[in-house]
Amino acid sequence: MKNKKGKLLSVYWFAILVIVSVGIVLMVNTFYSNPYDVREIESEIISGKVADCVYYGGKVNSELVNINGGFREDFQDKFLEKCSLNFETEDELEKVAYYTEAEFFTEDDETKSVFFLSGGNKNWKVDCGADLKSENLAKCNEKEFYLRTSADSIYLVKVLSIVGKTSENVK
Amino acid sequence: MKRGEILIENIIFILLNVAFLTILVLFLLQQGNGAVLLENSYAKEIALLIDSARPNTVIHLNLNDLKEVADGNGIPFADVVKIENNYVVVKLSEKGGYRYHFFNEIEVNPHPDVNPDYGGDYILTFSK
Repeated sequence: MKNKKGKLLSVYWFAILVIVSVGIVLMVNTFYSNPYDVREIESEIISGKVADCVYYGGKVNSELVNINGGFREDFQDKFLEKCSLNFETEDELEKVAYYTEAEFFTEDDETKSVFFLSGGNKNWKVDCGADLKSENLAKCNEKEFYLRTSADSIYLVKVLSIVGKTSENVK
Repeated sequence: MKRGEILIENIIFILLNVAFLTILVLFLLQQGNGAVLLENSYAKEIALLIDSARPNTVIHLNLNDLKEVADGNGIPFADVVKIENNYVVVKLSEKGGYRYHFFNEIEVNPHPDVNPDYGGDYILTFSK
């Protein structure tokens, strides 16, 4: 009788082990099957690079302003190149996975920008304003800082950077 | 006679439990060190390092985890990390490999550390 109880207990014990192991295997598989999502860090790095490109060590990029202290429109044409950013992928048909912009506001009016720089795929901007929270949306990063030109003008600079790359970073 | 039977049953029960736990631990370790997982995470992390690097930077990377897997799969350590047209490529098996795009327009030169004390290290040098 005692022996029967012991056998019964060991059968239940192994049933519990099987249930626990199936649970662990499922949890581990779920955890490791999710790709490592680095888009948030990438968007922060882009914002940092754009900020450093515009204003570094307390000095405005000499290629961004003219002698009179005004912004040079031609900087926009080669914005990505000047800031050492390359958003192009090997496949030309593949849509560009990045977008970045920098808006310049005067100290007096922070609603209307006086100068604007942008590069990349503008279509990603829709994802930043979306109320819906989903991993399938692009990751956005916003950064603000003040800069002082050599002519002592002060500007507020708002940098927005977006990284799409959902196929590589989301299951 | 009866006492002996009970002892054998207990020993088998304990051995089966130990075997079960060993298999479980091995499974967990294998999951965390799989070539696919390592390729994916290291390619992305190296891409992030490149994105934040400035010209004249030199980065020493400890890639012992990758070396162990690459050696096991017969891949030379010098072929594990490659840079191809703004993509980081990490390859740990003959048919595998993972590539991730980086956006920093910078010249990158990855090569294994020749110092035998740092056999599992890679050196990344950056220039304009």
